Amino acid sequence: MRRIGVTTTIPSEVLLSANCEIVDLNNEFITNENYSALIDMAEKDGFPKSSCAWIKGIYGACIDNHIKEVVGVMEGDCSNTKALVEVFQQRGIKIYPFSYPTDRKLNMVKKEIDKLIKLFQVDIDTVEKYRLRLNGIRALANNIDKLTYIDNKASGFENHLYQISCSDFNKDHKKYKTELENKIKEIKHREPFNQKLRLAYIGVPPMTGDLYDYVESLDARIVYNEVQREFAFPRADSANNIYEQYLDYTYPYDVWFRLKVIKEQIKNRSIDAVIHYTQAFCHKAIEHIIISKEIDIPVLNIEGDKSNVLDARTKLRLEAFLDMLSDMKGVRG
Amino acid sequence: MKLLGIDLGSRAVKIAVMQNSEIIYKEIISTISFYKNYCKYNNGKIVVDLKKIKCADFDKAVSTGYGRNNTDLEEFKPINEIKAHVYGALYQTNLSDFILLDVGGQDVKAVKVEKKIVIDLELNDKCAASCGRYLENMANVLEISLDEMGKYYEEPVRLNSTCAVFSESELIGKIAEGIDMKRLCAGVNYSLYKRILPMLKKFNDSVLLMSGGASNNQALIKYLQKDYEKVTVLQENQFNGAIGCCYYAHKFLKER
Ligand code: SF4
Repeated sequence: MRRIGVTTTIPSEVLLSANCEIVDLNNEFITNENYSALIDMAEKDGFPKSSCAWIKGIYGACIDNHIKEVVGVMEGDCSNTKALVEVFQQRGIKIYPFSYPTDRKLNMVKKEIDKLIKLFQVDIDTVEKYRLRLNGIRALANNIDKLTYIDNKASGFENHLYQISCSDFNKDHKKYKTELENKIKEIKHREPFNQKLRLAYIGVPPMTGDLYDYVESLDARIVYNEVQREFAFPRADSANNIYEQYLDYTYPYDVWFRLKVIKEQIKNRSIDAVIHYTQAFCHKAIEHIIISKEIDIPVLNIEGDKSNVLDARTKLRLEAFLDMLSDMKGVRG
Repeated sequence: MKLLGIDLGSRAVKIAVMQNSEIIYKEIISTISFYKNYCKYNNGKIVVDLKKIKCADFDKAVSTGYGRNNTDLEEFKPINEIKAHVYGALYQTNLSDFILLDVGGQDVKAVKVEKKIVIDLELNDKCAASCGRYLENMANVLEISLDEMGKYYEEPVRLNSTCAVFSESELIGKIAEGIDMKRLCAGVNYSLYKRILPMLKKFNDSVLLMSGGASNNQALIKYLQKDYEKVTVLQENQFNGAIGCCYYAHKFLKER
């Protein structure tokens, strides 16, 4: 089976129609036991100190896994991907460019997906069939989301993990479906969590996965993971076709479109405060200027760099932030 | 209802009492004297002799500060020091967005507050070169009072050392060179400012509130005024932590 690396969520339906295995390089990087060696590898090959750990990790993971073909998202995701892809090309890796067009118009999105369909030599009917099948799996991930914020039974980390994995369905969608079904059964049998504070997590998924457990130890819980939720296409059933589905996907488009959904979810999920994660050296950190002003509940910006665990200073900041929030919540409640 | 707040600092213990949202009593006692003369010890617990500090009839009591963790005051609810200072500033100013700079005897805190909640902070409690103790030592070397030294800000003589101890010998060297006293004082004040500055770098808000002993230093304020639209020294700059404890008790603590 052809293994195709991806730099973020792309229309998986097309690749699966072409009988390819999708490998999300982000997941390969962050789940690698030796994740920091992958960063070092990239730096040794010339990636500057001042580029983010994700980009370097993606590079390292691609080389380390001997991936020969990559769908690179050139527009809408990360402005560094373009240069990354050029380095890949130089190393003989075949690139299929894909873009989430900046102006988010249906005909533009259609053009991009059709281009991908052509590159992988598949037809739209098969793609649509796959879409329905994948949406069944995405609905299961969506179920875990509901188990998080409605039933309070899924943890923040589970919410993160099972939704984010929808970018490549853990490389095997059939197996992933069974895994989700089993997980849902297990979660349903639990006693609900009872932490006092309800938090939203927005921004790129964290390098520091221990964030979830840490906030849970401080009487708070993350009940909304913005980008991870988008990876699982929560509004998939209202799309008539693949083009509409990928048009109604907030993450790669502009911040205002994202904010609309974020604000809705803050309300729906009775969220007390927001953690906005940004990556060191990521251009998206600039968006914090807008985000912190647009959201009317407290927003804490935390930054991750190369480590996959929270540093002492970030822990202290989280603690002080949650401590004061919990005072306030005590008053309100 | 009487609310008692105690801030156990490294050099001094600050006490405040609040009634009907007003601070009605304040007292400052040196830390050594506090433990020696105002406390009893009971099975490893510290019992404060409340009569001696004239605060016997309180309804709620909250403590904070350096001694908070290793001195478990009976009957007091301990709260985090950063939080205590932020509550103090919220009470004293009613602002919801600001930077609070607290330069104490042995530590410095810079806290960014947005929507009345701490969202960022920088702490320096590892080195004495950027806190009040440094000013005291340098004033001693110059044989001048702290208040007098704090007045001078023009043409500061350059003190390059990053270490409090080395700065002392550097200063003595400058005295030996025959440099004018005013410039020496300004040099000390400016060196403190320069060391604090990196902590504030990230916090580019327009309003800076100051508390702690070193906020009496006029030169430091002068220097900071160049960086911020507005610099305000909290009226009760010494008692901010203790007042914050009272405010916390007032807003959030259930009756004992
Ligand atoms: S963290 Fe930012 S810079 Fe890094 S890969 Fe993601 S979007 Fe690009």
